[in-house]
Amino acid sequence: MEEKVIEVNFGPQHPSTHGVLRIKVKLDGEIIVDAQPIIGYLHRNAEKLSEMGTYPKALIYMDRLDYVAAMNMELGYVLAVENLMDVQVPERAQWIRMLVVELNRIASHLVWLGTHGLDMGMLTPFFYCWRERERILRIFDEITGSRLLYNYMSIGGVYSDVTPKALEMIKEWESDFVDKLNEIGSIFQKSYIYVARTKGVGKLSRDDIISYGVTGPMQRASGMKRDVRKDTPYLFYDRVNFEVPVREEGDVYARFLVRMEEMRQSAKIVSQVIEKMPEGEFYNKKYSKPMLVRLKANGESYVPTESPKGEFGIYIIGDGSSIPYRVRIRSPSFANLSSVPTMLKGYKIADLTASISSIDPVFGEVDR
Amino acid sequence: MTLFFFLMSILYGILKFLHINFVPFTYAGYPIGLWIAYLIVAVVEVLLVFIIAMIVVVILVYVFRKYMADVQNRIGPNRVGKWGTLQLIADVFKLIQKQDITPKTADRIAFRVAPYIVFTPVVLGFMVIPFGNVSILNLMVVNFNYTILFLVAFMTVAPVGEIIGGLSSHNKFSLYGALRSAAQDMAYEVPMLISLISVVILAGSYSAVDIVRAQHLIPFVIPEILGFIVFFLAMIARQSIPPFDLPESGSELVSGFSTEYSGMRYGIFYMANFGFMALASFVIAVMYFGGWEGPVFPGTVWLIIKGAIFMIIFLLVWVSLGRVRVDQLLNLGWKYLLPISIVNLLISSALAIYLTGVF
Repeated sequence: MEEKVIEVNFGPQHPSTHGVLRIKVKLDGEIIVDAQPIIGYLHRNAEKLSEMGTYPKALIYMDRLDYVAAMNMELGYVLAVENLMDVQVPERAQWIRMLVVELNRIASHLVWLGTHGLDMGMLTPFFYCWRERERILRIFDEITGSRLLYNYMSIGGVYSDVTPKALEMIKEWESDFVDKLNEIGSIFQKSYIYVARTKGVGKLSRDDIISYGVTGPMQRASGMKRDVRKDTPYLFYDRVNFEVPVREEGDVYARFLVRMEEMRQSAKIVSQVIEKMPEGEFYNKKYSKPMLVRLKANGESYVPTESPKGEFGIYIIGDGSSIPYRVRIRSPSFANLSSVPTMLKGYKIADLTASISSIDPVFGEVDR
Repeated sequence: MTLFFFLMSILYGILKFLHINFVPFTYAGYPIGLWIAYLIVAVVEVLLVFIIAMIVVVILVYVFRKYMADVQNRIGPNRVGKWGTLQLIADVFKLIQKQDITPKTADRIAFRVAPYIVFTPVVLGFMVIPFGNVSILNLMVVNFNYTILFLVAFMTVAPVGEIIGGLSSHNKFSLYGALRSAAQDMAYEVPMLISLISVVILAGSYSAVDIVRAQHLIPFVIPEILGFIVFFLAMIARQSIPPFDLPESGSELVSGFSTEYSGMRYGIFYMANFGFMALASFVIAVMYFGGWEGPVFPGTVWLIIKGAIFMIIFLLVWVSLGRVRVDQLLNLGWKYLLPISIVNLLISSALAIYLTGVF
């Protein structure tokens, strides 16, 4: 008897590919023989567009890379440009950056948690996650004036100060966030079905992680303790106290636990930032808005940052003019997605959605 | 039944009175006129059952939406009609307006017929539910000795429609939905039948009325607790609601066997699902919780209360659980439910022999 293998296209229009991922899957019954991720359906030329305008102009393209964690994307770009031009950033601005970035990390992980629940067939946690995320978005609305794409960080600081009202909102939010997070988490962890479906599924070994360049929560779920915030601290991450969660199993359940713990640690960082944030300028007066377009730079720079998806960094080459010569985006989701064939081979169709959603890919960032 | 013969004799009397000699044609000892009258009454009753089933579905969908919204911190339908009660009617009108698309490569006849194969048995199933026992009128459309066999037939025909719909769509996702539906049916139907047989053995009759009467003292859920668990899980699997919604698992197979369906044909699948949820609740109430038996209230009220409790339990399961994997469901069906139901069969057989030995 010859084996009959059916080839099925998952996506690009498919409810559980988190955007426009297309996976060519070869199926033997319910078992996946081979899987090939195909990307490029959301390609928007972010790199080239960034090379066509002045340095501050590229910021809006960075927002649109990972649109559920826009602050982290902006931070990566702004840090690279500041490193290139040796810009001094006031202390308060740096604390504000840490505040918004950690808040956005939590918002991004909440989006992941909700959609992951949907992929596992659980409708209800989705709405709970969206409810919690909504409170964070309201805080962002108060701080920056927009809810999803902020255009908030500027070279030399941030565009607006954190108002006392926003601080009140954050304090109110953090007073019960962890409790609610634990409640949402218990819907997953106490469900026998969820645990049975995710344990031992989508396994990646340490070697796979290294060979594919997988970073972020996926890496830490496979037993590699690596977090850019700890290893090469940027901003003031060396002045706050937090832990890097690590699990050894390397399966979907481990990634779930790592992300849950990361959200708790981020909430811890947020509360420390509010305590430690000094008064002062929120941007460098030398780099006021009219000045920004005249910025010129020569040389190259790369600053790695820890985005919710993994190591995110932008490599910039300046040729002495006010327009960057080259902007290269190191996007974590792209590298993480390359591990899909290894993750899926030999598992069932139902594990496909679990594994894909455990990567947490955002296609604005994958396709750039 | 009493009602039929009452109406039939009136018709016969009228015919006699008018001196219309219709008697020469007889069948089974009754004049043909009686059979025609019987047919008319039967059609009317089936229509009545259809309307009752549809009303139950409308109420159930509304309760489902409101309840689910409440669990999920939402408001739910609140625009059409008072408190959004007419939302389903509006949805049905919307679905009727939609274009009914049949894919070019689909098997046209099978594709078009499949929704009705799923839907019709659900409505017919309501015919054999004893809705109460009033002295003149048995609130049951068809009352005969083999109701349970009919019920089983109706409950197991519908998955065939799902398989036909999936195979005829000419879509790989539909194909997988249909295959999963077939595998799932095999896994739960055998334990379901065995646990139903245990009830029949204990009651000593295939008739739903007799089964309810046999539960006058204690409902069958007490001696048949294992059978009840098996039957309840099988009913969840039959409705394809989470955690056993594999044939139409939204996140994996787009929409499973109903991927290619649009407009009202999709709506029929949807209504059949909710209709079956109501039917399953009533069947559980009749088989294991004593049907119309209960103090103070009339029997019909008791049956509806018992049925409503199970509908709420189904909805609660729906909103709170995730989906199992296909191999896990097959494991559950063949490795756990089947042995449990066989043990239950042995227990109830022993019980039946013991009881008949005593009396």
